[in-house]
This record gives sequence, C-alpha cells and structure tokens, in this order.
Amino acid sequence: MEAEASRFEPATFQVNDKKLGMWIFLASEVMFFTGLIGAYIILRWGAASPWPVPGEVLNVPITAGNTFILICSSVTMVKAFAAIEEGNQKMLKVWLLATAFIGASFVGVQVYEYTELIHHGFLPSSGLYGSAFFTMTGFHGLHVTIGVLCILWVAMKAFRGSYSQADHQGVEIIGLYWHFVDLVWIILFTIVYLI
Amino acid sequence: MATMMAEPTGVPVRVEEHPQSFIRKYIFSTDHKIIGIQFLFTCLFFLLIGGLLAVMLRFQLGFPGATMPGGSLLPETMAPDGIILPEFYNSLVTMHGTFMVFFAVMPLLVGVYANYLIPVQIGTHDMAFPRLNMMSYWMFLVSGLIMLSSFWVIGGASASGWTQYAPLSASPEASGVSTGQILWIVSIAIFAFSSLLGSVNYITTIINQRAPGMTWLRLPLVIWTLFITAILGLLAIPVLTAALIMLLFDQTIGTTFFLPDTGGQPLLWQHLFWFFGHPEVYILILPGMGFVSEIIANGSRKPIFGYKSMVYAIIAIAGLGFIVWGHHMFQSGMNPALGMSFMITTLIIAVPSAIKVFNWMGTMWGGSIRFHTPFLFAVGFVMLFAIGGFSGIFMASSPVDIFIHDTYFIVAHIHYVLFGGSLFAIFGAIYYWFPKMFGRMINETAGKIHFFLTFVLFNLVFFPMHGLGMAGMMRRIYEPAQYEHLSGIQDTNTMVSWAAFGLFASGLYFMVLFFWSLFKGKPAPENPWEATTLEWTLPSPPMHGNWKELPTVYHGPYEYSHPDMEKDWLLQNERPDVVSPAHH
Amino acid sequence: MSAEGKKKPRYMAVFGGLAALTAIEVAVAFMGFERRATVLLLIGLAVYKALLVAMYFMHLKWETRSLKILAVAPLLPAAIMVIVVLMENF
Repeated sequence: MEAEASRFEPATFQVNDKKLGMWIFLASEVMFFTGLIGAYIILRWGAASPWPVPGEVLNVPITAGNTFILICSSVTMVKAFAAIEEGNQKMLKVWLLATAFIGASFVGVQVYEYTELIHHGFLPSSGLYGSAFFTMTGFHGLHVTIGVLCILWVAMKAFRGSYSQADHQGVEIIGLYWHFVDLVWIILFTIVYLI
Repeated sequence: MATMMAEPTGVPVRVEEHPQSFIRKYIFSTDHKIIGIQFLFTCLFFLLIGGLLAVMLRFQLGFPGATMPGGSLLPETMAPDGIILPEFYNSLVTMHGTFMVFFAVMPLLVGVYANYLIPVQIGTHDMAFPRLNMMSYWMFLVSGLIMLSSFWVIGGASASGWTQYAPLSASPEASGVSTGQILWIVSIAIFAFSSLLGSVNYITTIINQRAPGMTWLRLPLVIWTLFITAILGLLAIPVLTAALIMLLFDQTIGTTFFLPDTGGQPLLWQHLFWFFGHPEVYILILPGMGFVSEIIANGSRKPIFGYKSMVYAIIAIAGLGFIVWGHHMFQSGMNPALGMSFMITTLIIAVPSAIKVFNWMGTMWGGSIRFHTPFLFAVGFVMLFAIGGFSGIFMASSPVDIFIHDTYFIVAHIHYVLFGGSLFAIFGAIYYWFPKMFGRMINETAGKIHFFLTFVLFNLVFFPMHGLGMAGMMRRIYEPAQYEHLSGIQDTNTMVSWAAFGLFASGLYFMVLFFWSLFKGKPAPENPWEATTLEWTLPSPPMHGNWKELPTVYHGPYEYSHPDMEKDWLLQNERPDVVSPAHH
Repeated sequence: MSAEGKKKPRYMAVFGGLAALTAIEVAVAFMGFERRATVLLLIGLAVYKALLVAMYFMHLKWETRSLKILAVAPLLPAAIMVIVVLMENF
C-alpha cells in the first residue's frame, strides 16, 4: 500500500458541483431529445406514403424569424454572463431581463404559429407529421418556457445582489441550459422546417 | 477508530449541529441517510404490494376459476364472487411487473443504497444537491401512489404488460383500459424524472466529493456499480420518457406514433422501450453485484479477487448494455443481419459476467469464511444469478429464443436474475447495512431461517417454470388448460402456486423480523462485521453530516487479512504502519 | 472563472455568424438543389451552428478535456439508437 500516496486527488473534472451537475443533466436532455427527434427521423424514413413538404404546411419565414429571435436571446444571455465576470451588476440585470423578454417573445411567436396552424386544420392528429411536429416543437417550447422562468428567478436574485464577480455560478449554469435549448432548436429547425 | 487517522487536509468542514424540528429532520429531510431510509420503507411497502399481486395471479394459475379466499373483498369489476376475471388478471400481471421493477427493486437498489452509501463510503458530508435529493424521493412517492391508485379508476389498472407494447397500450380501444393506462404513463414519467434527479446527484457527488485519498481505484465496488448504474439511468431513462410522451399523446390527443393504421410504427415503441429497457436490466443487477462483492470480501476475510477486472467488467457490461436491446425483440421480427449482430453482442456480455462470477469464487477460495446472513444471501445471489445467466444464453441465441421467448422459460429467466439476483443482493444488503442504518442488529439465527426459506421456496417456484416454458406454456396467460397441449401441466402449476404462497409468507416473516429488529434488536457496535470501508468508522447510526472532519484514505477498500497486522481487517482510513508499527 | 481563457471571446462575431448561417440555411432549403445535396448541406450547416453555440456560448472551448468528453459522450448512444433502428427499415 502506497500510504504516502494519500494526498488529495484533484477532482477529475476540475469543475464545481453545480456546473458539473448541469452538464450531466444536459447529457440526459440530449437523450430525451434524441428519443423525440430520432422517432421523427425513423418514422419519416420508414413512411410508406409520401411525406408532406414542410414548406407547404408550415410557415417557414415566420419561424426563421423566430430562430433569429432565439439566437438573439442566446447572445444576450452570454452578455449577461460576460457582464458579471467583469463585476458589472447593472449590465447583468439588463441583459438577464432582455434574455427573459426575448425568450418569452419566442414562445409568443410559437403560440401564434400553433394557433394559425390549428386554424388551417393542421393538428396533432393530422397524421404522423402533425404528431411529430407538435410533440417535438411543443416540448422544445416547454423547455424554453421553463428556461424563461428560471432566468426570471436568476434575474430576481441578481436584483437582490446575490451574484458577484467571484461567485456567479447561478448565471453560468442557467446560461448553459439556455444555450442548450437554443442548440436543440437549431437542430429542430433544420430537421422539422427545412428538410 | 475515527480518531486514529484524521489528518486535517484543509477541506472545509460544513457540519453544523443545530436542532431541527421533527418534520424537517424526518419528513422533509435533506439528509441523505434519512432519504435513504424513507426510500427503504416506501420500497418495502411496494415490494409487499408487488408480492400480493403475484400471490393473486399465482392463485388463478394454480386453481383456475376457483374462488379466491378473501377475493370477495375485491369489487365486482375485478373478481366477482372471488373469481379473478381475465381482464383483472391482465392488470395483475402488468402491475406485478411494474411494481417490482420500478417501485421495488430499482429504488431499493438505487434509491435506498445510492443515497445511503455514496456519501458515507466516499467520505463526504452529504450529496452534492441535498434538496434535489429530497425532491427525488417525494416525486418517487407520488409516482408510486399514482400507480397504486390506478387500480380503483374506471376500467381498472393498465393491462398491457409492464413493457406496454403498442398498439395495445396506444389506443384506448385496444386493451379496454383508458384511465388506468394514462395513469400508468403519467406515473412512470414522474418516476423517470425522479430517477433523473437522483442520477445527476449521484454522478456529481461521486466525481466531486470523494474524501482526500479516495482515488478512483480505491472506491468500494458498491460505489463503482452505483456510479455506472447512475450513468446508465441518466442516458437510458430519458429515452423512455420521450417514448412515454408519445404514447400518452397517442392515447389522449390523437397522435399516431405507434398506431399502424395511419403509418405509425408499433415496432418503434419496442425499440425505444428496449433501448431504455436493456440498460434498465443492468440498472437492476449492477448495484446488486456491488453489494455482493462487498459482502463476499467481508465474509471471506480476503481482498476481493481481481478488483480492477471487476471495475472493467462493470464498465464493459454497462457499455454493452446499450447495443444489445434488440435481443428482446427477436420474436417481433427484424432484419436478420441486425438480429445476428444483436445476438453476438448479447453473447459477449457473458464474458464480463463470467469474470465477475469467477472473481467472487476466487475471493471465497481459501478464505476463512464467516457464514453470516448477508454472506449467505450473497452466495445465494452468485448461484442463482449464474443459473439466470445460463438460461440467458438460451434467450440470447435467436434461433432458440424464437421458441422459448414469450413462454414461462423467460418468466423463469427473469425471476432468476431479478429475484434470485437483485432481490437476494438487496436482502443481503439490508442485513449487512441494517446495523449502520438503524443502530441495531438483526438476529443471526432468525436471518438464516429467512435465507433458507427464501432460497428453497424460490427454487421451488421458479425452477419448474423452465420446464413449463419448454412445454409451451405462454407467459401472461390466464388459463393454460384451455389448450390441449397444456392440459398436463396443471399439477406443476398448482405445486408452483403453493410454493409461491410459501415464498410470500417468508417475505412476510422478513417484514416482521425487520420491524421487530428496528425496535428490539441488540444495539449495534460501530463495526459489527469488522469491515473495511469508511462507513464503518462512523457511529451506528451516523450523525447528521457524517464526519466532523473528513477522513483521509490510504489504500484500497478490501484490506482483509493483511499479513503485517494482528487484526484481520484494515479500515480505509487506517495506515498499517500506524495500526501495528511493530511489524513494519 | 478560471475556466475562461485570457482572450475575451468575441460573442458578437459568433452571433453574426449564427444569424448569417440561418439565412443561408433558409436560402438553401428553397433553392431547389438536388434533394440529397440539400439535405446534406442543411445538416452540415446545422451541425456547424450547434458547434458554434456549444464552443463559444457554452464555453466548451475553454473547458477541460474531461468535460468536453462528458459533453460529447451522450451523442454516441444517441447515434447508435437512431442508426440501428434506421437499419431496421432497409
């Protein structure tokens, strides 16, 4: 036994608990969305009848705009993080609120999109494409909604002065979640709306 | 003992002793030990429910069409005049599987022991996220109660088997159960979220919170198995969640993912389910293997044979677990090339499993064995798991599997690995860690009686099922004698049923013993089994926060019979040169 | 935090890149190229955008190697699942 080798072994990832926990959680989110997106790919690949052309069913220009909105919210989020890294409390609050607002707009546009589609008779019960479309985008929308609520929570804490240049894990991990949701949308937008 | 080594290492201490109200301390507790104990009581309750369902369905198989004693207590929709209806029988089979897999065995392995053991074995104060941990327990309880409640809704509980194959589960018309089916899906979705919270917690804790000196290859094997199990759960269960959401929408809002008439693919459900389901199989066995390794090393008074190969075998089993799921679907029809690949990958799993079995035998070989109750259960595990493993080889070979899958052969197989394997390991773990958890001993003689009853009755129940399966008795069948070729097996079925009632009674005996020992057992010392891992340096039961100062670890987890020492065990925070300097 | 490199990432440049790539994607989808070329191009663009987000916004570029592995690891079982089930449909 190497008794002398009993010094403290540095934690393997050199990452604090919360950030590591968030990355681990995101790993499971990858599998969750793989379940949904994978099912879509499999159903579409194996479909016996011709698949509807997305551009003819969905309103792609509006969603392209919405994609742009979500990218904007990602950049405001990362700006919030950059602000607190420099100890800039004021800009942290501004960017966080901006992110929450832009994120909420994304959900708003999605709700508008859904209403329009349902109005035109495209429903979750409209065959496989309807099933998959509403399930995938719906669960992404749910993730965005949860993200907005969490960002508001973080913003509230920011107003109470809970974050500092030295300690701002909360901002960092909600940022990770938010960018991940953005990342999923990038994939979803391509697969559901464009291909 | 704990005083011997403690060298302060500059790790911040966060134990604060402050009085807590009863509710904060025992009900909405964030202490990993209390949460583990909450899981234990809840799971034992669900284990009892699962057993009761098994007794009822065994009654129908043993005495088809007879009036079940006490059956008149059940409503007309389940058992008019105490005679079990076929529809109710389907619910019984479904819910027996569901309760045993999701609400008894899996949380007993992971919920109870991951929570209880991870912090005390790696040497830390608590989980990385104690509040998430508490939430995980409460969501588990809610999901279990939702599942239980589904018996009393209109149409009864889900009747499409614990595997929930579509389209049976996807359309309200198909199985005749609507509300119960929806409750099943919702309950398991909540369960999945609960176990996700647990997994995140366990993985983070094990990576980040190990005590000074607790390197990866000094981790007790229990921790290794729980770590790998948590990773499996993390990656496999979300796929089930996704599939459940699609199934729920098929049931409720008219989507058609799994309904074939509009282009949906019922086979997609099977793929998604088993992509979760096979890693789930290893979630259900790996922690048991960890407990058994711990107990066998302790009982044999020898270091575990081939520690590193054990670790690699665990990792190999888990890795292979993601590429073998198709072997559950040989009968569903599949591309033969794919079937062949699944068959080969499945057979490869026999290698790491055999490595483990041989390592256990190597550990026992030449040891001065102490046959305490946990050790008996551990040896029982090795034997029964080996039998289950052998029948698994039959199931893995697709040409054979096509004939015996969906018969009682597979019922025998799954019970040998899940009951003879996992549940024996759980019993062993309960006996082994009971003194640490509750500060009292379970009487050894009483425990051994439980072991022998369980072992004998278990084999009487499940071994004949191999034969029943080869005779052609289908799994989940309500009344086999309706087929002429099965008319000769009724006597065997009756015998199996009597043995099953006995097995249930031995389970009740265990429950009584458990609760009796909780209050009347002899007070337990710090280290009753003279074991080596860190939890045995703590008082029984350990205080809130476990350690005032974190221990320092000097060597691997199984230093039994060290040649330089007089006592035959060396705790992980003891240095041999300090314990007996004369010999060094 | 220490994970951050010395140079400050140029977030606005990444943002510009993402916006431009989105525009290109929509254009590609409606250009009427050959079907297979369109699909491959779109997937390539999406993966590149996803990489930009992960590397710069999620700071993966500045993380330790083990965290990078953790981030990429789930893609392996994910890919296995989808590809194997797709093989079923051949």
